[in-house]
Amino acid sequence: MPIYDLGYRHWSGAWTSHPYRWWVITRQGIQLLVHKKRFTALLLLSLIPFLVRSVMLYLSSAVGRNIPLLQINAKFFEDFLSQQMFFVFIIATYAGAGLVANDLKANALQIYLSKPITRQDYLMGKLGVLVFFLTLPTLVPAVLLYLLAILFQTNLSYFRDNPWVLASIVGYSLAIIFTYSLIMLALSSLTRSSRFAGISFAAVFLFSQILYGILSGILRTSKVAWVSLGNNLTQVGDFLFRGTAHFGSPTWLSAVILLALMAGSAWVVHNRVKAVEVVS
Amino acid sequence: MHASFSLVKAWRDVRTIAFLTLDTLFWSKKTIFVAIISILILGMSVLGRLIMAYRWISVPFTAAQVFATLMSTAVIHFLVVFVTLFYGTALISDEVEGKTLTYLFVRPIPKPTIMVGKCLALIWISVMLVLPTIVLSYFILYLRADMTQFMEDVNLLAKDMGIVFLALLAYGSFFALIGAWLKHPILAGLIYAFGWEGIVSYLPGFTRKLTITHYIQSIFPHQDSSTALAMLIGQRTDSVEAVITLVLLAAFFLATASLILREREYVLEQ
Amino acid sequence: MSPILEARELSKWYGQVIAVNKVSFSVGAGVIGLLGPNGAGKSTLMKLITGQLRPSQGEITLLGERIWNNYPLFHRIGFCPEQDSFYERMTGAEFLAALLRMHGYDEKDVRQRVDIALETVNLKEARDKKIAAYSKGMRQRIKMAQAVAHDPQVLILDEPLAGMDPIGRHETIRVVREWGKAGKCVVVSSHILHEIEAMTQNILLIHNGQVLAEGDVHQIRSLIDKHPHNIYIRCSEPRRLAELLVGFSDVESIRFNTDGKVLTVESRQPDEFYERLPELLLRHEIELEEITSPDDNLQAVFHYLVK
Repeated sequence: MPIYDLGYRHWSGAWTSHPYRWWVITRQGIQLLVHKKRFTALLLLSLIPFLVRSVMLYLSSAVGRNIPLLQINAKFFEDFLSQQMFFVFIIATYAGAGLVANDLKANALQIYLSKPITRQDYLMGKLGVLVFFLTLPTLVPAVLLYLLAILFQTNLSYFRDNPWVLASIVGYSLAIIFTYSLIMLALSSLTRSSRFAGISFAAVFLFSQILYGILSGILRTSKVAWVSLGNNLTQVGDFLFRGTAHFGSPTWLSAVILLALMAGSAWVVHNRVKAVEVVS
Repeated sequence: MHASFSLVKAWRDVRTIAFLTLDTLFWSKKTIFVAIISILILGMSVLGRLIMAYRWISVPFTAAQVFATLMSTAVIHFLVVFVTLFYGTALISDEVEGKTLTYLFVRPIPKPTIMVGKCLALIWISVMLVLPTIVLSYFILYLRADMTQFMEDVNLLAKDMGIVFLALLAYGSFFALIGAWLKHPILAGLIYAFGWEGIVSYLPGFTRKLTITHYIQSIFPHQDSSTALAMLIGQRTDSVEAVITLVLLAAFFLATASLILREREYVLEQ
Repeated sequence: MSPILEARELSKWYGQVIAVNKVSFSVGAGVIGLLGPNGAGKSTLMKLITGQLRPSQGEITLLGERIWNNYPLFHRIGFCPEQDSFYERMTGAEFLAALLRMHGYDEKDVRQRVDIALETVNLKEARDKKIAAYSKGMRQRIKMAQAVAHDPQVLILDEPLAGMDPIGRHETIRVVREWGKAGKCVVVSSHILHEIEAMTQNILLIHNGQVLAEGDVHQIRSLIDKHPHNIYIRCSEPRRLAELLVGFSDVESIRFNTDGKVLTVESRQPDEFYERLPELLLRHEIELEEITSPDDNLQAVFHYLVK
């Protein structure tokens, strides 16, 4: 009969190499969320536009190459990604509002940072959760649509002549994903309440949109579109997909604002995540 | 005799709960958040006034136009919704998360009375924070040496304040209901206010009547883009009907919230 | 005499998990200890008693009336919850006053009752201090104060000694005993046997949502004594100590661990053993390094009872 040692045993397996330790946090965050039925339902719901557009792709190749609505070009993919922003917003709020706030509330940062991980690992891990879930309604279906479009077409001249479309899909998706993820993470790190973080996130996006509505209404111009976060993303999307700009504001300004927001958010979250708060 | 005595006791209980809730709501970070939004709206008024004063654009516009836009977009569709969403969903959720609900539930106060008291506090604090923002915005935009326009549009301001009060009542009780009902009320509230209402209020047929904003738009005294669009497709409800509907909706939401609070078991996680 | 608190076939489940399983008991005036390890169902039972949860099956009555949504009954109940949660920005006095107003007292009565309650839990000096600034023990005491401030007939105290310092514990134990003597029905829960023993002889043992035993604490104690009790001793001269212990009749066996530094004594009368040991060690100048007993806890009692 074998005799088992029931005492403490040291881990005898291989250690994860340091550059991948953030993945432990990401993986745990993903596992926690995928087990929530409502969240899974939300993810599935976000794929409905993908299914609709897949049907459009099929119809385009089967019957309607000349119907304007079924034209497959860069705008088709840009419109898809722009439409997905509502789901991106909801998923980011659901998945991201509590990411850091709940750890702050439970004083879990001390536990995290007492392990052999750095602050950067922690932040990368948390960011990874959001990036993963925001990729699902954006980058993944957009790339799949692109592949489907190639598969369904008998004449591939458009894709041969415009190879940049795929890069635009990736670029625009990443711009959306990182803007939403970093802002959400920063707001989540500013409070111990996930509800507060969620509502602040909504307020930031909607207030900027309302400000644009009022200013453009008074000034009768779309040159002030840069005050709106959503409009900045649209402007960048228009640029990446080589389309006509929706607004009169310069695209470079939108890009600078988005980059500044991302950098500012990263700075905020980096400064907020500390194992011990020293009160002077 | 007995009935009147019960009514006095019920009012006293409602007042006690309202004061306790008011105290906890007011001295919370939520108030800072709402104050920031209010200040931003006042900032918009200042900006509007500056644009008017310095004639930065060639297209002329009046204080009334700026005020109408501000009321429609920033106050009713943003400030009112956010204030009630924030405070309304917190009425029960805060007590559950903070595990203080026990202290209220082991007192000789009927749970529906607790809900009514909390809603009273919600309306009270919302009115205290939102109405001054409107009045101040009006002053910023209209105040000048010639007071004619100021005096002429004062009745519009009064109407606006009445509408905002009704909006606070309807949205407040609705968000209080989802706060008592759902585990993630904020997300549900955001989806309702900025998803459902945004889409459905401009659809033809009966569906548009399934939103609070439709009834508010129906009694909105100003001409702005959203009401103009609604009028264009003939979707306004009669003013009296809209007011009655808003009051009835608020009563229905409050009654349902009270019923949920009465029957639901709140498990406070250790 | 009719019981104050009575449960008949009471069950409560959360989905598939049964927290309280067909529990029946009746309680009169005096202190009764609800004893059980963590997760036994004590807190769920307390929430059923205080009307925060509705029974899934069976019935629970207080003073002959059902509790769930029976608001007037809450004049007669005082509940001290387990969780350390408050309206943090209030002072102790404000907290008590706010809750007392819900009982319908006028302001004069409220003030008087606040003073009495604060005096009872010895918190008068901290009355105007914010609860957020209270120590753990003070928070526990203000929680007790809100439970007794309206002078209820039935007091339900969920782990009232948790987090208290020795003086606070002593004081709370004294107060609980006084309430019991004054004819109140006090139900107090704990997972620590000696805490309950200090407050009452009358206990209700609960384990896995079921009542295992009900009655006098001495009977429970004797259950422990009927089973051999393991005591681990680490000392400077283990073999010499073993020589000395082997002569006593209550010592059933002695074993050494592999390195010979620790001995395990099996005794049927642990109280006598513990009484004798210090004198023995002193007399023979044996240095004691460590003494522990895995059996001297509630889990062991439950283990015996369910075996």
